[in-house]
Amino acid sequence: MLQRLVSRALARNLSCLIVPGPEVALAHGLDVTAAGLRISTTPRDAAVLLIVGELSEKMGDAVTVLYAQMPRPRAILMVGGQAPSTLPGADISAGLSQEELNEAVVRLQRAFADSAFAASPEDFDADVLHARIEYVCPMHPEVVEDEPGSCPKCGMDLVAREAGESTPDHDHEHHHDEHQHDHEHQHHGHEHEHEHCHDHEHQGHHDHGEHDHGGHDHEGHDHGGHDHGASGFMSMIEVTKDLPRSADGLQMDWLEVPFGPVFPGLPGGLKLTLTLDGDGVTEGQATSLVGMTTEAEEGEGNEESEESEQINAGTFIEHLASAMPLAPVSYRLLACLAIERAAGLNDDQATTQARNGALERERIASHLGWLAQVGRQLGFAWLTRRASTLQLKVRDADRDKLAELEPALRTLGTHLERTPLLKSRLKGIGLLPPQSSALRGPVARAAHEGGDAWARLWQRLAEISASLEFIRSSGEPELASLRNIGDVSGAGEATVDTPRGEARLSLKLERGKVKSYELDTACSHHIDLVPKLVEGQELGDALLAVGSLDLSPWEVIS
Amino acid sequence: MTVAIVLLALFGSAWLLAVIEGWITTGRLSPAAPLYSGLAHLGRESIVPRSPDRVFFEAAPVLLMVVAVLGMAVLPLAPDLVIADLGTGGLFINAALAYVLVAVIMAGWGPDGAYAMIGGWRFLGQLIAYSMLIVMPITAVAMRAESLVNTAIVGSQESLWNIVYQPLGFVLFFIAAMALSFRAPFDLPTAEGELGGGVDAEYTGVRLAVLRLARLTLVVTLASTTTVFYLGGWYGPLLPPWVWSLVKTLAVAVSMMLAGRYLPRIREADLMRWCWVLGIPLALVNIIIVGLLILVVP
Repeated sequence: MLQRLVSRALARNLSCLIVPGPEVALAHGLDVTAAGLRISTTPRDAAVLLIVGELSEKMGDAVTVLYAQMPRPRAILMVGGQAPSTLPGADISAGLSQEELNEAVVRLQRAFADSAFAASPEDFDADVLHARIEYVCPMHPEVVEDEPGSCPKCGMDLVAREAGESTPDHDHEHHHDEHQHDHEHQHHGHEHEHEHCHDHEHQGHHDHGEHDHGGHDHEGHDHGGHDHGASGFMSMIEVTKDLPRSADGLQMDWLEVPFGPVFPGLPGGLKLTLTLDGDGVTEGQATSLVGMTTEAEEGEGNEESEESEQINAGTFIEHLASAMPLAPVSYRLLACLAIERAAGLNDDQATTQARNGALERERIASHLGWLAQVGRQLGFAWLTRRASTLQLKVRDADRDKLAELEPALRTLGTHLERTPLLKSRLKGIGLLPPQSSALRGPVARAAHEGGDAWARLWQRLAEISASLEFIRSSGEPELASLRNIGDVSGAGEATVDTPRGEARLSLKLERGKVKSYELDTACSHHIDLVPKLVEGQELGDALLAVGSLDLSPWEVIS
Repeated sequence: MTVAIVLLALFGSAWLLAVIEGWITTGRLSPAAPLYSGLAHLGRESIVPRSPDRVFFEAAPVLLMVVAVLGMAVLPLAPDLVIADLGTGGLFINAALAYVLVAVIMAGWGPDGAYAMIGGWRFLGQLIAYSMLIVMPITAVAMRAESLVNTAIVGSQESLWNIVYQPLGFVLFFIAAMALSFRAPFDLPTAEGELGGGVDAEYTGVRLAVLRLARLTLVVTLASTTTVFYLGGWYGPLLPPWVWSLVKTLAVAVSMMLAGRYLPRIREADLMRWCWVLGIPLALVNIIIVGLLILVVP
C-alpha cells in the first residue's frame, strides 16, 4: 500500500539528467520540461538518464559512470540513437521529436508507478566502474606504485589501496546492495585517464613540483588533514612541507578536479580539468570527448576521411550535419557549398539568399542557446527559461513567425541591460585582447569592444538583431540541399560563418563521391585559449570565462 | 500547545512556500506537489559516499533543521503565541543562526568530495561577509525597543513599523538574511553551474528530503525574523494577530525565494567587498540615525 503510494509519487516527480546536456536537447527542438520531466543537474538527483543522440565511445564510458551514481530506482530514456554498449540498455527509446518524447515520458511514468520496486533489482556493473588497485607507502604518501613492493625512501612494505582512496583499505568489494555506491572509477591499465564525469570523489594529489599532465594517473592521498586512519596528529606545517606555494604564499594542497563532460555549467561533451588551490584555479585544460577526428582510424569508417573509402556526396552532407548537433544548418550549408564548388556549379542568387536566411536563423537560435547556458551557469533561472523558450520557437520559424518574435528578442537585450549584478559578474571576465591569435566569430568581433564576457554577451545580442534584419530583407529561410552534381571530379573549398565563427571545408570529389576532406573550425582554435583564460582565476570566474567562448565540443577537430 | 501551534505554523509555511515555488517554476499550482516530492525522496536509494566523514555527513541536514526550529522558538506569532519569550530573544536568533555555518561546512566536509568541500568553505567566506550585517541592524532595532525581548520589539512598532522608521537597516538585514539562507543569488555553496550542487551534491533519498525541508524552513524562520524586527510582527487591521504574522512571513519568504530567479549569482569577491566596504559603514550610519531619532523624537 505504502509502496504503491511512493511509486506513484516517484512517477509524478521524474527528474532527468540530460546527456550530453540540456543545450543539445534544445538544439534538437526538444522541450524536456514540457514533456513532464524536471531537469536535474546532478546524477544524485536524477531518476532518469535521458540520452539525446548517438554518443562517442569516451562519452559512453563517462555516462556509464554517471548512471552508476544515480540512486535507484532509475531508468534510461534513449532519444534518437542507440544506448552505449556499457549501459544496461534503454528502458524506453524514442525518436527525436517532441511527440515521441512526450509519449516516452508517459510510458516512463507508468513504468515507475508499476514497478519502481522490483522484487530483486539487478546489480549494475561495467568494466569502467572497476577501481584500480595501487600500492602506497604508509609513511610517504607520494610513493605510489602499480605493483606490490617496498618503498624506495624508507624500505617499508607498500600497502594496497584503491586508486583515489585516502587510506589503505583491504576491502575492495562494492556493496551495491548496501547502498555503497561506486564513486571512483578507474580503467584497467590501458588507458591512463580518469573517466570521471561529474565525479564527486575528489582527487587530492600531492604535487612535487613536477606537474605532469601527460595523462598518467596522478593518484595521491586525499587532501591534508582528512585522516580516517589511525595515524597520529601532524601539524599543518608538517603536512604541507613539500608542497608548492600558492600565489598567496601559503603552502596548501592542490586538488585536480574534473568538471564535465556532463556538468551543469558547461557544454556537454566538454571536459575541463582544473587544478584547484582552494577555490582558485592554478591551471586547467579542456578536452572534447565528442569532437570529430579527421585521422583515419581502423575499424571506424564513419567520421574519418579515408583514402580507401569514398562517401556519397549526399551521405557526406547528412553526416557532417549530424556530427555537429549545435549547428547542423551551418555545416550542411558548408558541405553543400564545398561540393558544389568542387563540381564547378555557380551560385545562384535566390538559392544563396534563402540558404543564408536559414544560416542566420540558426545563428539566432544558437545565440539564444548560449544565453540559456549562461543562465544555467549563473543560476539566472529567468534568463534560461526565456532564452530556451525563444530558441525553441526560432529554430524552425518562417519569416512571418520571426517577425512576430522580434519584439520579444529585442526586449531580451533591454532586460539584460537592466539586470542588477550582471555587469559586475561579467565585466573583466575572460579577457581576450584583439591581438590574441586564433580568435574567430563573435569572440573575435567582441575583442575590439572590450574583449571580456560582457562584451561577448552584447556582441551576440547585436548579432541576433543583425540576423533578424537580414531575414526580414532577404526572404524565406530555406535549408541547403544539394543540387544535382552528376559524376564530376574536382576539388573545392568553402567558408561559412557559423554561429561560433568561421568554418572552412576543402574537399576532393571523385566521380561524384567525396574522396577526402579537410575541416577547420573556430572551436578547434578557441579550445586552446582555455588554459590561459582560467589560470589564476577564482573557480566561478574561470568557468564563466570558458562558458563565454561558447565552445561546441563537437566542432573541436582533433 | 503553543509549541505545537508554532511548529505547525513553521512547517505549514514551508509547505506553502514549496507550493508557491513549484507554481512559479512549473506554472502549475499543485498543493500536493511537495508531499509527493517528499514521498518520492523516501522511495529512493539513500546513498552514502564511499569514504565519508560519517558523523558530519549524517549530522549536517539534521543540524540545519534544528537551527531553523530553534530560531523559530523565540519568534512570536502573536502576543501570547511564542514558545520561549527569552530576555535575549534578539541575540538568541543570531546565536542559533551561527550554526547554519557549522551545518553547511559539515555537509561540505562530510561526503569527501571536491565540489561539496569547496561549497562548504565558500560559505565560510560568505559568513564573514554577511554576519556583521545581521548583528548591526538588530542593534538598531533593539535600541528603539529598548529591549531584546522579541515581543517588546514588536510592541515598539505599534505606531510605526521599523521598515519605515529605519529603512536602511531593513534593506541591509534583508540582504544579509538572504545570504544566510544561501538562496540564489547568494547560493555560492550550492551553485549548480559552478559546483554541480556543491554541499547538496552528495545527498540523496531521505537525507536529501531532510536537507531540502531544512533549507525551506530556514527561509521561513528568517522571513519570520524579518517580520518581527521590521514589519510590525502581528500588527494589522481586521484579521487576528497570528494571521498577520503568517501573511507577512510568507510574503517575505516568497520575495526571498523569487529574487534569485531574476538575478545572476553574485561573485564571492564582490559579496565580500560590498558587505565590508559599503554594508558595514551603512549599518553604522543606520545605528547613528536611529540613535538621533530616539533622542530627538520623544
